[in-house]
Order: sequence, then C-alpha cells, then structure tokens
Amino acid sequence: MSLQTAAWLVLAMPLAGTILIALGSRGLLTGKASGWLGTVAIGAAFVFSLITLVKLQDLPSEERHVASSLWDLANVAGVQIKLGIYVDPLSTLMILIVSGVSSLIHLYSVGYMASDRGYARFFAYLNFFVFSMLLLVLAGNLALLIVGWAFVGAASYMLISYWYRRTTATTAGIKAFVINAVGDIGLVLGTFFIFREMGVLDYGELFGGVQEAFPKNDASLVAAMILILVGAFAKSAQVPFHTWLPDAMEGPTPVSALIHAATMVTAGVYLIGRLHPLFEWAPTAADVGVITGAMTLLIAGTIGLTATDLKRVIAYSTMSQIGYMIMAVSAAAYVGGFFHLMTHAFFKALLFMAAGSLIAAMAGEQSLDKMSGFRKAMPFTFGCFVVGGLALSAFPLFSGFFSKDAVLYEIGQRGGWYVVVYVIGYLGSVLTVIYTWRMIFRAFWGEPCEQARQLEHGHLYHAPHPVNPMTGELEDSGVGFPGEEHHIAEQTWQMKWAMSVLAGLAVIGGVIFLPFGIMDSLETFLEPAFADSIIEHPENKGLEGLGIGLTSVLAIAGIAAAYRIWVQRPGTSAQLQGRFAAVHRLFVNKWYFDELIDLLIVRPFAWAGRWSRDSFERIVVNGLVVGGSTGVVKAGSAAVRAMQTGLLRGYAALVIGGLAAVLLYFLIRSA
Amino acid sequence: MSVNWYLVVSALIFSIGAVGVLIRRNPLVVLLCLELMLNAGNLALLGFSRTWGDGDGQIFALIVLVVAACEVAIGLGIVVALYRKRLPIDVDELRELHG
Amino acid sequence: MTIHLSIVLWLPVAAGLLSLLAPGAARWISLLGASAVLAYGVALLADWDKAGGLQYVTDETWISALGVHYKLGIDGLNLVLILTTAVIFFAAALWTALREPQMPKPGLYALLMGLAQTAVTGAFMAQDLALFVVFFDLMLVPFYFLTLVWGGPQRAPAVLKLFIYTLVGSLLMLVGAIATGVLAQAGPGGSVSFVLSDLEQVTLATGSQHWIFLVFAAAFLIKMPSFPFHGWMPDGYMQMPIPVLAVFASILSKVAAYGFLRIALPLFPEGAQEFQELLMLVALASILYGSAMAFTSSQARLILGYSSLAQLGFITLGIFALNDRGVDGALLQAVNHALVTVPIIFVVALLAARSAGSEDIRDMGGIATRAPLLAALFLILTFALLAMPGSANFIGEFFILLGAFESKTAIAIVAFVGVAMAAVYALRLFITSMHNRVGPAVDPRDMSVAEGVVLWPLVLVILALALYPQLAMERGERAVEESLAKVQALHGSGVAASAEATAASGAADAGEAFGHAQADGEKAP
Repeated sequence: MSLQTAAWLVLAMPLAGTILIALGSRGLLTGKASGWLGTVAIGAAFVFSLITLVKLQDLPSEERHVASSLWDLANVAGVQIKLGIYVDPLSTLMILIVSGVSSLIHLYSVGYMASDRGYARFFAYLNFFVFSMLLLVLAGNLALLIVGWAFVGAASYMLISYWYRRTTATTAGIKAFVINAVGDIGLVLGTFFIFREMGVLDYGELFGGVQEAFPKNDASLVAAMILILVGAFAKSAQVPFHTWLPDAMEGPTPVSALIHAATMVTAGVYLIGRLHPLFEWAPTAADVGVITGAMTLLIAGTIGLTATDLKRVIAYSTMSQIGYMIMAVSAAAYVGGFFHLMTHAFFKALLFMAAGSLIAAMAGEQSLDKMSGFRKAMPFTFGCFVVGGLALSAFPLFSGFFSKDAVLYEIGQRGGWYVVVYVIGYLGSVLTVIYTWRMIFRAFWGEPCEQARQLEHGHLYHAPHPVNPMTGELEDSGVGFPGEEHHIAEQTWQMKWAMSVLAGLAVIGGVIFLPFGIMDSLETFLEPAFADSIIEHPENKGLEGLGIGLTSVLAIAGIAAAYRIWVQRPGTSAQLQGRFAAVHRLFVNKWYFDELIDLLIVRPFAWAGRWSRDSFERIVVNGLVVGGSTGVVKAGSAAVRAMQTGLLRGYAALVIGGLAAVLLYFLIRSA
Repeated sequence: MSVNWYLVVSALIFSIGAVGVLIRRNPLVVLLCLELMLNAGNLALLGFSRTWGDGDGQIFALIVLVVAACEVAIGLGIVVALYRKRLPIDVDELRELHG
Repeated sequence: MTIHLSIVLWLPVAAGLLSLLAPGAARWISLLGASAVLAYGVALLADWDKAGGLQYVTDETWISALGVHYKLGIDGLNLVLILTTAVIFFAAALWTALREPQMPKPGLYALLMGLAQTAVTGAFMAQDLALFVVFFDLMLVPFYFLTLVWGGPQRAPAVLKLFIYTLVGSLLMLVGAIATGVLAQAGPGGSVSFVLSDLEQVTLATGSQHWIFLVFAAAFLIKMPSFPFHGWMPDGYMQMPIPVLAVFASILSKVAAYGFLRIALPLFPEGAQEFQELLMLVALASILYGSAMAFTSSQARLILGYSSLAQLGFITLGIFALNDRGVDGALLQAVNHALVTVPIIFVVALLAARSAGSEDIRDMGGIATRAPLLAALFLILTFALLAMPGSANFIGEFFILLGAFESKTAIAIVAFVGVAMAAVYALRLFITSMHNRVGPAVDPRDMSVAEGVVLWPLVLVILALALYPQLAMERGERAVEESLAKVQALHGSGVAASAEATAASGAADAGEAFGHAQADGEKAP
C-alpha cells in the first residue's frame, strides 16, 4: 500500500461510516450497531494513519511532503482548485491525534448515548465530523482547507443542536455557525489577497513562492494573514470571536469532548502552523496572533475562576489552553505548540468524559453549586478528574507538565518583548491550577449531595421529570431531547475503557519530548515540516531549568491554595467575592463580550432588517417605484378609456366631422 | 343637362341625411337618414355614369342598394329586439354594450 | 443546419397541445414531453464539442424585410443553462404529476407550462436579437395565466402588477433592440439585420451604446429582480402556485443574467464599461437589502424570494466584475441557484402541508421529530443555499467574489457581509421550521414516496455538482472569454492573460526556491 493510498483511506473511512450509518439507520442497523460501526470506521482510520506514519518515515527527510490529488474541482480562468491532499509530518501528527482521540470518544459514546432516541443520527454526525476534520488537516490547498473548515463548522452546528427540541441548543448552534461563517469569510478574503499576487492555491507552490511575491511584512500579506487569523480565532474560540464556545456546551458531552476540546478548536492552531512560511514572512500578523493568544489565555482563565456550570469551566479552560497554543505557533514555537495540542487533547477529552459521567450521576444537572462530595460514590470518575486535573495543572511528570513547559520555554527562547508573553504564560498557569482544582474540590469534597448519597447506595438518581438544566423547561423522552436515562462510567464498560486509555495517555504522554534533550523524538519527527522556518531558537539551559522549577512550584502551590480556599476554610471564597465584588462581577459576566457583540452587531443588523421591511419596502419600493410605474400606466389607460363613451351620435359626429375636414383640406390644397 | 344639377341635388340630400343622423334620437329615424345618405350617393353615381356613357356607375349603384338593404334588415332587427327587451328606443340611452 | 434544437425547443408546446386534447392524461403527457426534452438535453451535453464555438446552428430567414432570422445555436454560455431549464421543468412536471392529481383544468395547465418551457428555452437558444426579444416577452404570458387560474386568493392585483411592471422593462428593451438593429445596419449591403453574429461585427457610437445598454439593463434588472426594481416580487411570489413558483423563481431570472452576457456585454461594451460601477453598486445593494429582508420575513416564500434577490445580486456582481473569473462564477452560480431553488420551494410546500396549510414559519416548529428524511434533505438544501464551502454554490461565489475583488476590491469586501447574512437567514428558516418545540398546529410526518421521488434526484444532482463543479464550468470558459473580449479590450490587457502570467511565474519560482525535490513525491493530477 502506498503512502497516498493510505492517506486517502484515512479520509474514506469516516465518510463511508457516515454514509453507511445514514443508509442503515432506517432499519438495518438496530440497537448499538450504528455506534459500533462508527467506532470501527474511526478505528480503521487510525490504523491507516499509523500506516501513513510508517510510510512517511520510510522516506528520506527532505522528501517527507507528498501531495496527491484526485481531480480538479474547478480549473478555469487561471484558477485551479484541486481535490488534493498534502501529507507531511505535521498533517500525519494531526491525523493520528484526531483519529486516535476520536475513536476513543466514539467508544465512550457507544455507552454514554445508549438510551438516546437519535442514536444513529448521533454517530452519523460524529463520523461526518471526523471526516471533515481529517479533510481540513489533510487538505493540500487553501480552497480545500476552506471546504474542510466549513464542514467542520457545519458538523459542529449539527452536533451542538443535536437535542434540537431545546431552544437553547438551537440558538447556540446558529450562534456557533454564524461566528464560524465570519471566520470562513476571513479565510476566503485572506486567500484572495494572497491569490491576487501569487495566482496559486496549492501549499507547495505557496510556501515556495511567498518570499518572491511579497516583500517582507508587506501590507497586503499582513492584511491577508490577519484575515486568516480571524478565521483561526473564530474556529479556536479566541477573543473576541469566542462567545460561541461556552454556549456550545449545549451539545452532548462527547461532542464537547471531541469537538470543543480535542479537535475542532485546535484547527486554528493547525492553520497557523501549516501556513507558517507565510506567517513568518509577515511578522506583524504573527505578533497579532501572539498577543491575541496571550489575552485569551488570561481572560478565559479569569472567567473559569467564577463560572458555576461544570462544562463551562472546562470550556473556558479549553479556550485558555488554546490561547497557549495559538501564542506558541504564532511565536514560531511549533514543537511546543503541537506537543501541547496533543497532550491537551488527551487530558481535556478525559476531563470532559469524566464531567459527562458526573453530570449523568446528577441526572443532567450541570451546576457546580448543586454538586458535592462525590468522592466515595464515583471513585473511577474521581480518579479520572484527578489525573486530568493534574495534567492540566502541569503537575510535575504528567504530560501537561512537559508540554506546557516546552511551550513557554520556546517562547522564552525568542527573547525581546516575548518575555512579557512568557510572564503572562505563567500567570495563566496560576489561574489554570486554581480554577481546575476549585472545580474538583467543589464537586468531590464536602458533604455528599442528594444524588451522591443515592449513588453510594448503588442507586443512580433520576429527576422526577426531565428538564432543561439551563432554563428549567419541562421536556420529554422523545427524539430531540436527552430523555430520562443517563449512563455513568462506573456502570458502563465502554466509558470506562475509553477513559482509562486517555488517563494513561494523560500520565505518560509527555514521554515523547522531554526537556534538556533527554528525549526529542517529537522534535525530530516534526523537523521536516518546519525545516523552512526562518526563526531561530537558541538553546538556553538556564531558562529551561527556570521554567521547570517555576511550573512545578506553581502547580503544587496552586493546588495547596485551592485546597485551602475550598476545602479547609469553606467561607474563604465568599469572602474574596465580597472584597473584589466589581472584579468578580466582570468575571461572572464573562467580561461582557456577549453584550458588546449584541450591541455592536446583532442589534444594528436586526434594526436594518426591520427598517427595510417596515419603511423602505413599503414606502419606497412599493409606493414609489412600483406604484409609480404602474400608476403611470393605469392613468394613461384611464385617459384613453374616457374616450369610449358609447354615445353613437358622438361617434357619428367624429366620423362626419373628420371626413369633412379631410375633404376641405384636399379641396383647398388642389385649388 | 349638365351633371352639376344632379350633384347638387345629391349633396343636398346627403347633407339632410347627415344632419338627421346627428340630430335625431330615434334609431328608426337614424336608419331612414342613413338610407337618404346612401341614395344620395346612388344619385351621384348614376349622374356620373350618364356623363361617361358607360354602365360602371349604374352597376356600382346596384351594389350599394344591396348593401343598404342588408344593413337596414339587420338594423331593423336590432330595433325590434330592443323593443322586445323593453329597452329605451333612444340612441343616447343605449351606450353600454352588455345585455 | 440541424433540427436538434428546434425539436428541443418546440417539443414542450407540442406536448402541451396534446394534453389539451386529452385532459385526462394531461399530467403524464406533459411529464413525458419534459423527460424527452431532458434526455435530449443530456445527449446534447455529452455530444457538444468541447473545442467550443457555436454548434447545432439552425438558421432560417424569418422576416427578410427586417433582417430577422430564426437562428438558434448552443455555445458555452447557454449549454448548461438549457440543460438546467430541462431539469427544472421536468421536476415541476414530476411534482404536478405525482402530487397534485386533483388539479382543475389539467390540459390548459400543461399547455401553459409547455409554452413557458418553450419560451425560456427559446430565449436561451436564440442567436437573433429580435427572436430573443420575442421569446423574452413571450416568457411572461403563460405565467400570467397560470397564476390567474391556479393562484392564491389575492392573485389578480398581484399578477397584474407583476405583468405591467415587467412589461414596462420589456418595452424599453424592445425600443433598444430596434434601435440597435437600425443603427448598426449590420446586414449585407448595409441593410438592417438582427442576427447577433452580424451585430457583433459592428461597433455602435458611444452615445448609442450608453443609452441602449441602460434600457437593456433596466429590462434585465426588473426581470431578475434586482434592487430597487423588485417591488413586484413579494406579491407575485405569494400568489403563485407552488410548481409555477418553482419554475418562475429558478429559471426566469437566469434568462436576464444570460441576456447580459449574450447581448449587453458583447454588443455594448462601452456602455458596460461606463456603468460598471453603478451596476456593481446595484448588485451590492441587492445582496445587502435582500439578505436583510430575508432574515426579518416570517413567510417562508418571502424568505426564499428575498434570498433570491441576494443571490442574483451575487450573480450580477460577478457579471459586472467584467473579468473571466467573475463571469465564470456567475454562470456556475446561475445553474446552482436554479437547482437549489426548485427543491427548496417544494420543501416549503411540504412544510406548509405539515402545519395546517400555513407558510408562516412562526406556525411551524419541530417538524424534524417525525420526519428525519425530510430534515436531512432540507439541511443539505440549506447548506447549499447559504453557499457553504463544499457546495458548488461556494465555488460559484468564490469565483464571483474573486473576480469582483480583482476588479473593485472595496465593493467585494462589503459583499462578504452578504455571505454571513446568508448563513443567518438560511439557518433561521431551517431551525424555526424543523427544530425547537413542535408547533401547536403541526403534524410532523415524513416525506411520502411520491415527494421523495421528486426531491431526492434533485438533491443528488446538487451533491454531484458539488463534487465536480468543473462539469458546469469548463464548457463555458471559451464562450465567456469571447463575450468579454470587447469589454476587456477597452480595459487594456485582459485579466486572463495577467492571471496566467502570475500563475506561471509563481509556480516556476516555487519549483526553484523550495529546494526540496518536490517532483519525486508529487502525483500528477
């Protein structure tokens, strides 16, 4: 099997999965069959990704970028859009992460979604999402990237509104889609700016030709890259395009785990990494990326400190961690950035899965205010939370420790003003540790709540009537709602297995890239993809040591502080809220971004629509233009109609008078 | 006898007929006046036929008579129908074409 | 000299006349006629020589005193449009046959639809200016009667308004057409000729080109419709019966777009050049205004009508970018929009049937709960409607916006707002009708087999085109170049030449500067 075939099969597997599940959903596939079919499809994609990896490593280092295309989607007027893929170490890393984590989440979902009425639809959508993400990552030219980008957005919309009878879910879905569409526009417009000078869309030609086509930091190129950053920010939920991500938690938890933690939101990171030759040639745009990543990191961290919905805390955490990654790849810290992407996929997916289990135990309730003391009732879930939390907090020797360290070290290596960013990164670490352990301590320590007590006796809590956890609206168990049944990890083997694998990876996943050069297999692997990078990374052992020390200290101190505030002295957090009330309000209201966007964008457009309909259409178009022209015609015909009197004598008079006039005329003429 | 006298008489009769069509309101009288106009035309035709010495004018006059007869037949038929439907026998009242 | 085109052209009317004589089987005769035309159309597509040029030409002298010829022909511009027309009328005939068996006066209906198909196909095929004007005006007549007899409750004033308004534009166009023929004196020995190939040899005076272009533009903009001449559209769209609306909304507007490319650009290049910015601004206004109205309307038909206003704004924008890319995109988008409009109007009918006859989206909701197939199909159509990347509509918009971007950058950037607004109104339509709580009067049931038979093939065509948009684009390339030749000669160098130059230089430099042995790993596409 050749490299190209393996790569195409990676794409084909989830697509086949979607189509087969969709076709079979009307009767052929019963019970959990569609779930297993979906999981097997993604598992097969993972296997083919491994084959691709092996074949890629067989090639000599300079040749590890292979393009392959099937046919031309369009080839007219000098614009050629191929249906083509590009396989290099970066895309191979991405397809491994995507297919690997996706298959585990599929396995988890087989158990978690088991009593949902729309089971087959879920797996069809989930497979379609994986296909879209793989297409995005494997695409070989900007146009196909945009197609994959949009498919991912569409899949995200379909999965966020999965429980479509919930108005909160459908609103969240359309919000996510529209913000994503704005990102798409940024991507397309950026592509136009690039295409205007270069005339090509394929990666190979773009990367090779950018330095000839544009002078360094040329205004046109910077504009193009900033527009592309808009696309990246919208997809990766960076400020100010992030408002869709917390709302996206309306989707079922596996969706949050897969799309909004491990894969889709990392697409922006991949984009910047993939287009790095262009970003490095337009440093202003790259700096915009760094600054935005840094801002998001902090803002999201502060909101996570005060959020009370369990999934939203994890969502803001994701936003913050992606801020790290965006910061990293914009600052040319590629290995660190993608290393963190990988470990983050592991521990964040794990955290979401565990959260799903906890929410199931609460019968759909997601508020931290109502959860407490689940340690004894859910030992496995608790263990997963702890492992995920330790990895997220960059606790020494966990995977998150090595990856966050790598990110910040590589940024620090650049020196200059990047020192500020370095410091912000560590500030963010403090926030990360605190909000993570706030969440864990609140949910698992303290007096067991009603649901926990029932579970300790082996009885899974069921709410008297299914409701929407956000609004309290009554629901039922039909299709389009989650229904009454819930599944927790302790009782569902699929969930347990998937979470165990991820927990293991969260612990040992850091081994592929250790500091001080002890192990650099990831760097060596990614080297051919970033060989054309023009940014230097001088080694600095002192900085490396400082980084490791600082990370460890902050992690341990942070956990201790959180323990103090939320376990040892329970009233402390209320005191702090009282003392910093204004700041607290700012954080709780998510820095008022939703309100700002509503004021600046939503309301003007709504007003424009209303004005058009009520005033303009009625008065100008109907009154003036249509009324005017038809009025003229009607007046004309009315005038002519007035001549039809029906009076016989009148007509006779006309005839005789006219005849006499004509005769007289000729008579006078001839005389 | 020059033809002029015949033409003057013809013109006189034609004018009387035309004025009658314009002034009278009874359709029967309008038809009568129409007949006057047609026959005035006939007289002129016959006069010219006598002048040129061939029969063209007389043949044409015969055709005019035929046409007049047909037209009067239809006209009288319409008047009778009007009477039967009890509509006013007045040319000014009859201006809408429905019924 | 071939008769292929005359057969394709007159077969629908013939079928209509037969239906009139046999009203009992009218639906099936009409369907048979439409399928025959469709089969013929596909055969022509396959048989058409890709080397280009006008093919299957039929040329007879019709009114020799005026130099009017009965001349038909197919080249890259109208080939795919003619096939699209056949597909659309076939779909409408299939819908009527399967889903409306109790329609009154079926024979008359079949005749009028046949006449409509003939007129539209004729407008596309005509290679003579007077013949084009005849078919263009003829197009409107059957729709007048179709709406008057089978339309909604307030159809009489609506259709009268539509008719008069469109006719005003057509009258202006007639004046322009006659003026062109007379002023050009393009026939042999300086006599009047209306044949397009003769008229293209003659260059009119600049002043004449300007005013004649304006009257043609007015007629086409009214027909499309385009802001601000769209006042007839809301009432007209609300009152037409569904299959008539499907045909009207999808294909009549494309005749206007095609008219720009076939007549206005080649014959009046100075006029096009002079008024390019004005028309691009009108197009932009259509995009923005149509989108704004679409997301505040609550009648499903009006949402689609205003959405068409916006989409046709994009097509006009592409045409008046006056470069190869914009026009290629506009042509593809014309086909795409037609193919998407028909099934989505049928879906609106299905939705109304499931919410107690109301087409107001506020009365709908939650229809997807027992209609998963309908939901899936509607979602695919919604994504196509908003030109999501992956659909052929995206490729069309990509080319249009690229062409506009290269021509008038600022206008193109503002036009992108329309893309975002399209996402809003399209999804709003889908979500309010299919998702959220089940509406009080809603009876959610899935598509019947008959409805599926009409809709799924159309959706499959849309999906097939999404996989290979080149099918609709490659044959038009040369014809588009020819259509734009005169206008681009006024510009200076054509954009196509400069594009090839940049592509060549970019690729050549990339090969050298990249350094790695690229050729080894690359598979030739």
